[in-house]
Amino acid sequence: MLLLGGKEYVGIMHLHGAVSSETLEKTIKSFTGKITQLPPVRSNVKRALREREVFYLDILEVMDKDVLFKTGVQSGTYIRKLVHDIGQTLGTGAHMSELRRTKVCSLKESDRLVTLQDIDDAVFYYVNENDGKFLNYCVQNIESAIDFMPKVFLSDYAVDTICHGSPVAVPGIVKFNDFSKNEKIALFSLKGELVAIGDSIVESQNLYGMEKGIVVKTDSVVMPIGTYPKYEREKV
Amino acid sequence: MGLPFENIKRDVHVLRDESTEDGYGIYPEKRTISQKLEGGFILLDKPSGIRSRTAAETAKRMLSSLGVSKLGYSGTLEQ
Repeated sequence: MLLLGGKEYVGIMHLHGAVSSETLEKTIKSFTGKITQLPPVRSNVKRALREREVFYLDILEVMDKDVLFKTGVQSGTYIRKLVHDIGQTLGTGAHMSELRRTKVCSLKESDRLVTLQDIDDAVFYYVNENDGKFLNYCVQNIESAIDFMPKVFLSDYAVDTICHGSPVAVPGIVKFNDFSKNEKIALFSLKGELVAIGDSIVESQNLYGMEKGIVVKTDSVVMPIGTYPKYEREKV
Repeated sequence: MGLPFENIKRDVHVLRDESTEDGYGIYPEKRTISQKLEGGFILLDKPSGIRSRTAAETAKRMLSSLGVSKLGYSGTLEQ
């Protein structure tokens, strides 16, 4: 899911020649909005021109020929290529010397980013001193990772059928966020647990007039079967 | 200026008044560490110079004593 969202990076562009700050500023700004990019020779995707959106591209600091920048881009934008293309437009040439991803979708560096050392320490405290507070900090609930998606909250009685892969029908829905047709939907229990991810087949506006019918097709199930009781239809 | 979906706030529409029984399932904030380790995630500040895969394997080894047998990673940094 995280692969689909936008990304933010902080990086260093190394210019191959002197550029005035006005030209630099102006050229960099021209690389925001929709841009066309040819994926690099060594890449994991088909090498054909494709359009990507650069939501923002800002200069944070310039030191001689090194430009520290921050950019928010659509998933699948190659930053090394972006920097190279800026260099071509500037006429001097440029390459990217450092890159760090600072955001993915709604996850950012300030959201409990931990190092491998932090994990090692947290495990030590948990195992040797029976103190779970550090490990609790390191390991986050999966729900936090998909917080950006529209949610549909299921009745307790619908949860287990969804765990079996059944689609979500109107009677199983208690609450919902607005969504459009063909959108990725997070299916939640009323306790706020992630049950599964699915694709909407109608838009949420339609829900008010519907008494039955399928709303979301279940795609991948997260919750184990049997977490919630099996719904027995009452015999009439 | 932000990314799409960043800081997004969504209204909740209620179709009917229904509550949940406490007998099954668990509120995410009440999960124990073992329960979180069964299906949680870690936002890792990976040092540069090692592969994401190596970092994931290192983390898995650290957590293996706590019963973690599966640990993967999401998001490659293809520059």
